[in-house]
Amino acid sequence: MTGAGLDWAGWAVFGLLATAVLTGVMISAQLAGLSRLDLPLILGTVVTPDPDRARAAGSVIHLVLGQGFALGYAATFALLDQATWWLGGLLGLLHGAVALAVLVPMLVGVHPRMATERAGPGSTAVLEPPGLLALNYGTQTPLVALTAHVAYGTALGLLLGAR
Amino acid sequence: MTVAIEDYGLLGDTRTAALVGSDGSVDWMCVPRFDGPPVFGRLVGCAAAGRFRLAPRRPAQMTRRGYRGDSATLETTWHTDSGRLVLTEGMVAEVAGRLLPATMLVRRLSAPDGPVEAVVDFDPRLGDRRRRPRVEHRDSALVCRWSRLAVALRTSHDVSIQPGRPSVVTVTPDRPFTCVMSVADREPLVYVDAQAAWDSLQDDERRWQAWCEGIDRCLPYREAVVRSLLTLRLLTYSPSGAPVAAPTTSLPEVLGGVRNWDYRYAWPRDASIGIDAFLGVGKQDEARAFLAWLLSATRLDRPRLPVLLTLYGKRPTPERGLTGWPGYAASTPVRWGNAAADQHQLDGYGWVLDAAWRLSDAGHRLYGETWRTMAGFADQVAARWREPDAGIWEVRSDNTHHVHSKLMAWLALDRALRISGHHRTPARRARRWATERAALRVEIERRGFDEVRGTYTRSYGSPDTDAALLVLPLLGFHPPDSPRVRGTIDAVIRELDAGGPLLYRYPPRHDGLPGIEGAFLPCSFWLVQALARSGRSTEGDALFRDLLSLGSPLGLYAEELDPATSRHLGNFPQALTHAALVQAALALRAAREEPHAEPASRPALHAEGAA
Repeated sequence: MTGAGLDWAGWAVFGLLATAVLTGVMISAQLAGLSRLDLPLILGTVVTPDPDRARAAGSVIHLVLGQGFALGYAATFALLDQATWWLGGLLGLLHGAVALAVLVPMLVGVHPRMATERAGPGSTAVLEPPGLLALNYGTQTPLVALTAHVAYGTALGLLLGAR
Repeated sequence: MTVAIEDYGLLGDTRTAALVGSDGSVDWMCVPRFDGPPVFGRLVGCAAAGRFRLAPRRPAQMTRRGYRGDSATLETTWHTDSGRLVLTEGMVAEVAGRLLPATMLVRRLSAPDGPVEAVVDFDPRLGDRRRRPRVEHRDSALVCRWSRLAVALRTSHDVSIQPGRPSVVTVTPDRPFTCVMSVADREPLVYVDAQAAWDSLQDDERRWQAWCEGIDRCLPYREAVVRSLLTLRLLTYSPSGAPVAAPTTSLPEVLGGVRNWDYRYAWPRDASIGIDAFLGVGKQDEARAFLAWLLSATRLDRPRLPVLLTLYGKRPTPERGLTGWPGYAASTPVRWGNAAADQHQLDGYGWVLDAAWRLSDAGHRLYGETWRTMAGFADQVAARWREPDAGIWEVRSDNTHHVHSKLMAWLALDRALRISGHHRTPARRARRWATERAALRVEIERRGFDEVRGTYTRSYGSPDTDAALLVLPLLGFHPPDSPRVRGTIDAVIRELDAGGPLLYRYPPRHDGLPGIEGAFLPCSFWLVQALARSGRSTEGDALFRDLLSLGSPLGLYAEELDPATSRHLGNFPQALTHAALVQAALALRAAREEPHAEPASRPALHAEGAA
């Protein structure tokens, strides 16, 4: 990273890589039985009810979103004129906290297949609501999500800083 | 004086529920969900645990009580010296998209004949410590606060209400008295005008009636079946689709005894039985919602199937007894949490795979993920069926080889093989299931059958029988009219008879706990089903009518019944009993329409022994 401005090439490549790291951490946590938070499924069921198709669509959506967030990280690194693993990790921590406290709970208001905590007998939504800090998906979900986002930020900081 | 369990009515909004006695007192209500802390807990926690009573001020006779048509709105009429006093009450279920509290209890007193004095006793206490609230009056509402939780009470009359101090209000023909209780958990309170709340309740009533109109009009015993389906739906937590076994904890299976369990959790077994019940009456969405819950909730434990889960698929908190809670009719301990969560119960897999097969058989193609999950469960059964388990009755002693569990393991593999006929499955996997299914049959027939008594037994080599074996004619393990099926049904009737239509689930005193528990109601409905499926539907029909006469005045059922007094025992109302009632009625219908059309009797794919 140099002080010359935003590293577009680095953003294009490393954004994808960092999102893959985040996805890997989340999937590992699911496999280990730590959390039921499944971002590709949640995102993909916006477009289809079939879990397998949803995961495929959701993975693409997730990559696009990850790339979008990476732009924010790259811009922050450029503004501060440094890209380090610890700065990335800090940004990841902030990102994870905002995702848990704001973005995930907001999903119930916009997701067509996600129930709300106020759902009644007329509700045909089948995805359970995440609840505060996505705790409905397992008590360790906040920890998993924060770890995944810290890994995402750290990866971006490391990779962009190495250029 | 303790109100009889069967005197309670169920109010609910599919997120939580309240039990209201025939004395007009809400004695149980957890907030904001079924498994939350009670805000009224008098049912098992004495007066110190709070209540919300609306009733005539002076002694009066209750003359009528019932739900308004096919709805969840309850109406109680008392006859007083100055005329009738009518209490109409319910919880508003459909609040999405409107600025209404997620939990809203609406209660209205009307006096059609002339002015009647009524008493209002609003005394909320929270949780296991029965904490009193901080109280304030704001905008004509009484507000009770406990840190993150708040409860507001608004009334249509200007009456001063203080928690724990009964107030008197005069109800006149032209001015009913309406109370609206709203609950806020980690969110602002929403104050609802009494008239608006009443209108919402009436809208809800119409929605429930419309929901019931969709149920087959030709069902036998339709009124009882509809009440059971309504109860099942009221006990289903809408945000996640979890079926709650019962809204209560620690209503005793023996009065004054220790068999007091917390049922405010969801059992995959109940969800599976619910799928069958709702599918049978054409309620496809409800059936699919249960399967969706099963998939989501079991995710962290797969391929192991947990025995029970919280509403959001988590492990329950460790079981504990509440200090200072006297229990219902001095039945202690009052327990929170359920230690059965740690058990290994093999039969659960059979129920779940059977439900998946029924959905598949009804034309609902299983998603790839659904089938992978089910196949994983079948693998688990194939790997573990030789181990002893705790069995369906969750007896807290050493595991043993329960014959019912082995039969359900056979069912799991059989249904997996049936589904694999039209869902992609590796041939080697299917061959393994077929091999294990065949081995199970050999073992069950050799070690689980008592040739002398002509019956399958409770466990290998046991002299006892088990009412859970009444599922035998439904499985396709033997033809429904085979001597082994007939012998097992007859042995259950003979050896577990509790008088009239009632059955014990296993011989009394054979579970290591003190006291004799009541007759287990789901078993009686399973007997109806077994009789109907094995060509004895006339007997089943008579039994079913007898069982209907034992329901509560409102058509609700607990888990058990005292054979001597006909008093209901155990948690109330109980989803499993109501699901079994629906299944029994469906079996009677099937027997009337097409005596030989039982799906379970169809030939199984992958002939056994063809490993």
